[in-house]
Amino acid sequence: MSIAVQISNLTKRFGNLVAVDRINLDIQSDEIFGLLGPNGSGKTTLIRMLTTILQPTDGTAKVAGYDIRKNPTEVRESIGVVSQAMTLDIELTAWENMDLYAKYYNVPREIRSTRIRELLKVVGLAERANFTVGSFSGGMKRRLELIRSLVHHPKILFLDEPTTGLDPQARNAVWEYLKKIHKEEQITMVITTHYLDEAEVLCNKVGIVDFGKLVEVGTPNELKRKIMGGDVVEAEFSTLPDEAFNELESSDFVVKLNKRDNTLTILAKNGAEAVPKIIELVNAKGGKIRSVTLREPTLDDVFLHYTGRSIREDTVVTKKKFVSTWAAMRR
Amino acid sequence: MKGAIWVCERDLRKFVRQPFVMMSALVAPFLMLVLLGNAFGGSITHVPVAVVRYSQGKYSSAYLDILRTEQSCALGGRVSCGNTFHLIDAPDLETAEQMLKQGNVKAIVYIPNTFDGTLSNDGNGIVTIYLDNTDPLSAQAASGGFTNAANQVSAQIQAGTGHQPNLEIDLADFYRRVEYVEFMAPGSIVQSIFVASIIGGGISILFDKQRVVIEGYLTTPLKQYEIVVGVLLAGVVKALFSSLTMLFLAMAIAGVRPMTGVTGFLLMLFTIFLTGLGVISMMTAFAVRAPAPEVYQFSAFPINLVLYFTSGAIYPIEGFPEWMRRITVVNPEAYAVHALRLIMYKGANLAAIAGDLAFLAVFTGIMVIIATLAFKRAL
Repeated sequence: MSIAVQISNLTKRFGNLVAVDRINLDIQSDEIFGLLGPNGSGKTTLIRMLTTILQPTDGTAKVAGYDIRKNPTEVRESIGVVSQAMTLDIELTAWENMDLYAKYYNVPREIRSTRIRELLKVVGLAERANFTVGSFSGGMKRRLELIRSLVHHPKILFLDEPTTGLDPQARNAVWEYLKKIHKEEQITMVITTHYLDEAEVLCNKVGIVDFGKLVEVGTPNELKRKIMGGDVVEAEFSTLPDEAFNELESSDFVVKLNKRDNTLTILAKNGAEAVPKIIELVNAKGGKIRSVTLREPTLDDVFLHYTGRSIREDTVVTKKKFVSTWAAMRR
Repeated sequence: MKGAIWVCERDLRKFVRQPFVMMSALVAPFLMLVLLGNAFGGSITHVPVAVVRYSQGKYSSAYLDILRTEQSCALGGRVSCGNTFHLIDAPDLETAEQMLKQGNVKAIVYIPNTFDGTLSNDGNGIVTIYLDNTDPLSAQAASGGFTNAANQVSAQIQAGTGHQPNLEIDLADFYRRVEYVEFMAPGSIVQSIFVASIIGGGISILFDKQRVVIEGYLTTPLKQYEIVVGVLLAGVVKALFSSLTMLFLAMAIAGVRPMTGVTGFLLMLFTIFLTGLGVISMMTAFAVRAPAPEVYQFSAFPINLVLYFTSGAIYPIEGFPEWMRRITVVNPEAYAVHALRLIMYKGANLAAIAGDLAFLAVFTGIMVIIATLAFKRAL
C-alpha cells in the first residue's frame, strides 16, 4: 500500500494564532481518512494547505507524491476538492458545470463526455444533466459538486464538511455515494467533519484534531479500544456537591469524567465494577444519583478522552447561537 | 391597524441602520443637480478657433481684435462671463483644416489676401468661417459670435469715417450638420460600456468572491494570470456587445447616421475595446478590493454619473466651469467620446485620434496592472 498524503511538521500561523501546529501524519492510499474536530480546530486550514490554497508557515507535505510547496501545479492536477461552500454555477446546467471543470483540468474532448455521463449516472443525476442547477435540491447540488471534482480522475479527493447543511436522508445518500466512489474509483479520500456519526460511518481511519494539534490517529475501533477499560458510565444526578466531583476525578477507577447539565459522563476502566462505587461515593458526599447507564464508548467519548471536552459542546453552542440570531431577526 | 405601525417601525429601524443606503439615495440626485446644472448652465466660452490670415490691414486687425475680446455670458441669476473665442494662428488653410479634423479647433476663420484691399476700395470684404457642425451647440454659439463681431467692426468704422464698409461673413459648413441626438450618441455608447462593466464585470466578481468560487479556481491547475485574463476578457466581450447594440439602436431608432467605412468601424471597435478593457479593469479592481459589497454597489452609480456628465457627452466641454474641466482632463470617457465623435462624424483616420488613443492606452495599461495586482491579492 502506498502513501497518498505525507504530512511532515506542517504548521500555519496567522499572527499569534497557531491554526495548525506541527502536524505529522501519513494517509494511506486505500483510506477514507476523517479529520475530526470542532469548529475552529484547524482542520479546514490543514486542508487548505494540502490543496495548495494556503502557504504553510513551516513544514511541508507530499500529496500524491508531489511537494505542496515546490510542485503546487502537479498537486492540483492530482487532486479533487469539494469545498465547504456551494460553488456551482446555478445559472448553468449540470452538464455545463461538469464540462467547464473538465476543461479547467485539460481533460481531452473525446474523454470528457463519456466521463461526465458515467459520473452523472453514479450519483443518479443522469436524467437531470440538462437542467439548470438552480432547480436542484440541496442534496442533488452536493452530489453534483462531488462528481464535478472527479472529472479528471484525481488520485486523492479532499472534502471539507461534505454533509453540512443536508437533511439526514441526503446525508445518508452522500455517504453511500462516497463509499461507492471510493471503491469504484479506487480513490483516497480526506474528509474534515465535526459529525461523529459521519466519521464513524464513513471513515476507516480517523485523526482527532484539537487546537491545531493532531491528538490521536487510528481506526474508529482502535480509538475506542484505546480508552482503557473501554466502558462509559452515564450518570444522571439531581444533586452533586463539588466535593463528590473532585473525589470522583481523583479515584483510580475513573479515567476521565465530564459534567454537563445534570449528566456525568465517566470513562471507567471497568464499567460494571465502577457503577456501585460511583453511587456509593456520591451518596457518601451528600449527592443524589437518579439513574445510571452503562454503554459502549462512542467517538464522542474518544474525543472527550483525548481533549477533555465533548465535541458536542461545540456543536450545541453553534446551535444556540443560531437560535438566538433567528430570535433577534424575528424581534 | 396596529400591525401596520410595527411593519413600518421595522422598515424605519432597518433604514436607520444602513447609512449607506440613505447616503446613496441622496448622492445620486445631488450629483445630477451639480453636474447637469453646471454642464448645461454655462455659456460656451473659449471656443478654440484657427485663424488663417492672408491680409494684414486695419480692417482684418479690427475684426480679429473684437473676436479676441468678445465676451459670452451665462444667463441666469449669477452671471459669469468669459472670452467667447480662443484664437489660434494657423500658417495656412491646410494646417487649419487638419486642426479642425482632429477636433482641436471648432471653426476656421479665413481672411483672404484681397480682404483689406477690397474693403478700402469700397468692395465687398468677405471673411469665410468654416464651422464644425458635428458639435451643433458650439457651432451655434460661435456663428453668433462671428456675425456679431462683423457688425461691431462695421459700426466702429462707420462711426470713425462716416462711411459703412461692406464686410460680409460667409458661414460654411465643413461637415454635414449633425443633430443633437447624434452628438449625444457617442456618449451613450461609452456609457453602455461602463454600465456593462458595473453589472457584467464587477458585480459578478463580487458574487463569485462571496461564494468562494474564485478561491475554488485555485485548487484547479488554472494559473493566476489565466484567471485574471479570463475575467477581464469576458468583461470586454460584454462591454463590446452592449456598446455595439447601443450603436445599432442609435442608428435604427434614434436616427444616428455615422459616416463610417470599414476602417472607421474597425477604429471604433478598437476604441471601444481599449476603453472597455480599461473600465472593466478599474471596476474589477474596485469590486475585488471593496471593503463590503454594498460599498461597490452604491458607489458604482455615482461614479457613472461623474464620468458621463464630465465627458462632454451631452454638452461641449467649452461650456463647463473650470473645476469640471479639470475632471474632464483625466476622465477616460471624455477621450473615448472625443475619439468616437471624430470617427463617426468626421471620418477620422488613426492619426486624427492618436492622441485620444494614447491617453486611453496609458489609462488602460495602468488599470490592467492595478486589477491584476488587486485580483492576485484577493486570490
